[in-house]
Amino acid sequence: MPVDLETILLLLPEGGLLLSATALFVWGAADRRRSWWPVCAALPLIVALAMVVRDWGSPVLMSGPLIQDATGDMGRVLAVALGLVMVLMAWRQTQRELASEFFGGLLMVVAGLMLVSRANDLVFLFLGTELVSIPTYMLLFLGKRNRASAEATVKYFFLSLLASALFLYGVSFVYGMSGTTLLVGAADMEGIRDKLPAIMQSELGGLLPLGLVLVLAGLGFKITAVPFHFYAPDVYQGTTNVNAAFLACAPKIVGILALTRIVVNVVPVEVHLGSQLVILLAIVTMTVGNVCALWQTHVRRLMAYSSIAHAGYMLIGLAVGIASASSGGLHGLSAMLFYLVLYVVATLGTFGALAYVRSRGEEIEHLDDLSGLSQTHAAIAAMLSVCMLSLAGIPPLAGFWGKLTLFSGAVELALDVAHPLRGWFVVLAVAGALNAAIAAAYYLRVILVMYFKPPRADPQTVSGHGLQTVLVICSLLLVLIGANPGRLLDTIEPRRVPAQQVPVETELGMNAPDDGQEQK
Amino acid sequence: MLDLKFLLLGTLFVPLAGVGVIWVVAPLGDRAVRWIALLVALVTLACATTVVFSNEAATRAEFAVTDVSWLANSSVAPLDVRFHVGLDGLSLWMFGLSPLLTLTAILVSWETIRDRVALFYGMLLLLEFGCVGVFSARDIVLFYVFFEFTLIPLFFLVGVWGSEQRQYAAVKFFLFTLAGSVLTLLGLLAIVVWNANQWNGGTWTFSIPDLSTNLRLAASEGNLPVKFQLMVFLALFAGFAIKVPLFPLHTWLPLAHVQAPAAGSVMLAGVLLKIGTYGFVRFGILMLPDAVLHPGIQILPSVLTNVFPQLSGVTLFLYPWLLVLAVIGIVYGALVALAQEDFKRLIAYSSVSHMGFCVLGLFALNRPGLQGGTLQMVNHGISTGALFALVGMIYERYHTREISALGGLAKRLPILSFFMLLFTFSSIGLPGLNGFAGEVLVLLGMFQRAWSQSIVGWQPLLVAIAVLAVSGVVLGAWYMLHLVQRVFFGPLKEPTHNDANAPAGDLCPREVLALTPLAILVVWIGVAPGFFLSRTAKTLNDVEAVAANAFVRHQKEYQRLWATAPSPEEPPIVPVELSQRGP
Repeated sequence: MPVDLETILLLLPEGGLLLSATALFVWGAADRRRSWWPVCAALPLIVALAMVVRDWGSPVLMSGPLIQDATGDMGRVLAVALGLVMVLMAWRQTQRELASEFFGGLLMVVAGLMLVSRANDLVFLFLGTELVSIPTYMLLFLGKRNRASAEATVKYFFLSLLASALFLYGVSFVYGMSGTTLLVGAADMEGIRDKLPAIMQSELGGLLPLGLVLVLAGLGFKITAVPFHFYAPDVYQGTTNVNAAFLACAPKIVGILALTRIVVNVVPVEVHLGSQLVILLAIVTMTVGNVCALWQTHVRRLMAYSSIAHAGYMLIGLAVGIASASSGGLHGLSAMLFYLVLYVVATLGTFGALAYVRSRGEEIEHLDDLSGLSQTHAAIAAMLSVCMLSLAGIPPLAGFWGKLTLFSGAVELALDVAHPLRGWFVVLAVAGALNAAIAAAYYLRVILVMYFKPPRADPQTVSGHGLQTVLVICSLLLVLIGANPGRLLDTIEPRRVPAQQVPVETELGMNAPDDGQEQK
Repeated sequence: MLDLKFLLLGTLFVPLAGVGVIWVVAPLGDRAVRWIALLVALVTLACATTVVFSNEAATRAEFAVTDVSWLANSSVAPLDVRFHVGLDGLSLWMFGLSPLLTLTAILVSWETIRDRVALFYGMLLLLEFGCVGVFSARDIVLFYVFFEFTLIPLFFLVGVWGSEQRQYAAVKFFLFTLAGSVLTLLGLLAIVVWNANQWNGGTWTFSIPDLSTNLRLAASEGNLPVKFQLMVFLALFAGFAIKVPLFPLHTWLPLAHVQAPAAGSVMLAGVLLKIGTYGFVRFGILMLPDAVLHPGIQILPSVLTNVFPQLSGVTLFLYPWLLVLAVIGIVYGALVALAQEDFKRLIAYSSVSHMGFCVLGLFALNRPGLQGGTLQMVNHGISTGALFALVGMIYERYHTREISALGGLAKRLPILSFFMLLFTFSSIGLPGLNGFAGEVLVLLGMFQRAWSQSIVGWQPLLVAIAVLAVSGVVLGAWYMLHLVQRVFFGPLKEPTHNDANAPAGDLCPREVLALTPLAILVVWIGVAPGFFLSRTAKTLNDVEAVAANAFVRHQKEYQRLWATAPSPEEPPIVPVELSQRGP
């Protein structure tokens, strides 16, 4: 499918963000004032937010390597919202002379996330993930410049490159077999989805799983799935709380959105491809994450293992999504995206609190630094507890609904007598439930330190209104979503693009009247 | 008159609103917080009392129902989660008891809690919210939300205001309970999914009344696979047995009780433990009748039995084992209580013993047993709640829980001793007090199950269980009277202490007020148990009918498996007609 003016217009917010990022880089070299840069980053983000919200719910449309659908809408809003939150969090944190680079990089990451969420082409998908990865190396280094930070950045850099290479290698297999990189084809051009059944039949079919496993490995690095998780604890520990928040969210969103894209639109409905692998990955990932987190005393290491464990939970959704693809259901993926949003909100809130509170004028590093926080800053302790309990999945907070939706998918398949992988899902559901109990242990430790330990002789101080705002918004959201989860669940429902109804070769101005507004 | 349904919603949400008010008035000082908490508890109690003593409670099986959609969504699954609350005979008295014990808990803590007062009363009211919610929920997800929600406030109550080992106790309590209850969630989900696949055209209903009707019907027609029932029951068992707690899973309880502040112990023993027994009846018996009663369910997965065919004979008949666990709990709890030197530990172990009685009665699965078990849930809540409150009062005066450090207190504290004796007698089942009514019914039920309604081939075991249960009553009298004799009679022995804050005198009016309603109930239930039983009868008859049906279904199988000689004179158990019998 050729790229035409329509494609470019669809990419207006992304293009705007990239241009703003470039402007920030160039201008930053000339102007060393500090307080200006967050505003410069926030403005394009707000404009982009207005545009993506306006585009929300537009009809399904395919143009060049892009696809516009519900998942894309949700991913774009999530990306821009993450960008705005990160601007708030980093408002006062960044070093003066590097602020423009930091915010420029952030805008690029947001643009990359938005591209990934609408990619309908494997190469385009790769482009998007790289647009997230490369500025991330820079952001990591900009946060804090010492030996630990440098080690963390280099570690992340090399492992990320390896993951990208794996992903690309996998893509090349898929391309070699199908002759196209387009995920969902249109009438005039077949996509991978249309060709897969034929490939599966041919003698090349044996190579397809290899390609998909490599793709899964590449994306597994992004979402810190075991065995690609080794970097996370070290990197989180070596960087700042704000950067750790970014690292816990952005790559996870990229990975999950890309997996959703590939699974929703590519995995053929006739075969159970790779379910067992994903189930194993899910069980191992959440168990390793949760069990290793039990012994951590460093908050960022603890959150790193927590982030690994949550990747495992999300993989439950992926496994259910793949395994129930034969019935056309997207239940698991819906639950996975729902869980992703809840995870992002709770994680941002947690790191917001950790960055907001300072102990002896330094960042919070160890759990003991939070000792007795409830008596010096009761509201912050309460909000951080809300985030912790939500991550632990205790009702009535939002995280509970995430777990409920994920488990219900697994239980549904576990009870499906006709399903060939029934036994696997029984094991998966039980493992997921037990892990939820293990996870509570270390989240409770954070609460325990804040509430049950005596306050320290030198009480913690707080700084940064942006961080405070983030913390308040996130914990409020967790409570509100907990009370009424239906709203959010309704808005993020992914849909399989129906092959026949995709408008082909829509020329500018020839669309249906109701999406005319978006071209103005 | 206000509609009952609004009063029930009031009972539920007034405590929650109270938490908000406490948060607002917290800057005004501790006094304001305490009075607000007391006021909220009184209003809640007034609402709850009106509901449980209303006419409708006596005449209708299910009443005060509110049912609005909460989460209707089809993207994850065709979910239909509803905010569905209401009461029936099974939940009625526990629903009423929760606000009453909260009032006691607040009054008991009035002087003792000096640290972070607003947080304390906030948590106590949140706990009340959770307890009331758990017993009034008529939707599985709502039930589960409240079920787990109660962990949070109690975690704080134990962890912040508890004794020396409070942090360890709080964490152990939380994790133990959570580990079981996540499996319970899977079990409940499995029930919902199975029902959705079978009946509802795919819609996932979480409504407890609908599900129990559907599953009961399916079970009676033999459409509900027994292996599925057993697996789900075991998943539910994980959560509920830990909560009760049944014998091997009880280790968290003494620790939590000893470390908790008096108010925490009162709520834990009085209300929270009963969620377990309540869940067993509500979900275990009513929805999965065959899980317990089916004589031989293959427990090994087919993967295994295909490879090792000789293992296919491994089957499980759960019923006797459940009763065995309950009776071990009774005897073991009582024996360990005998050996305790710590006041609170002793009562904690007595809880293990008494909760064993509840389970034994409920799983006798006949009318006296079910009624006795349900009544005993309330009785134990009242007497043990009061005993923990009294221990708190003694601790407040002498700062010790050592039994050997105290003696002859009857002379020094006559009013306290009077209440102590009253609740001790209630706890050991003195005729004329509430414990007697409950224990007699439980034992009657168990003996009936062991003799006239026995299961072929299992009679010796059932008889042994019944007899051992009686020994539990004797042991219970022994350790409680021994305790009372050592602490309240004999030569006066008081630990020396130099705490100016401790009231040296007898109970003040506030403390009397905390105990009086419980004392009135002790006598009232003891004298007129019929009034309390009649309001539970409708629902319990249902439970009995479900169980009796299951017994009849499996009667032939019992005969085939275990009857040594054909015994035509064995009286068949006839399913009970609901309308005919009634106290």
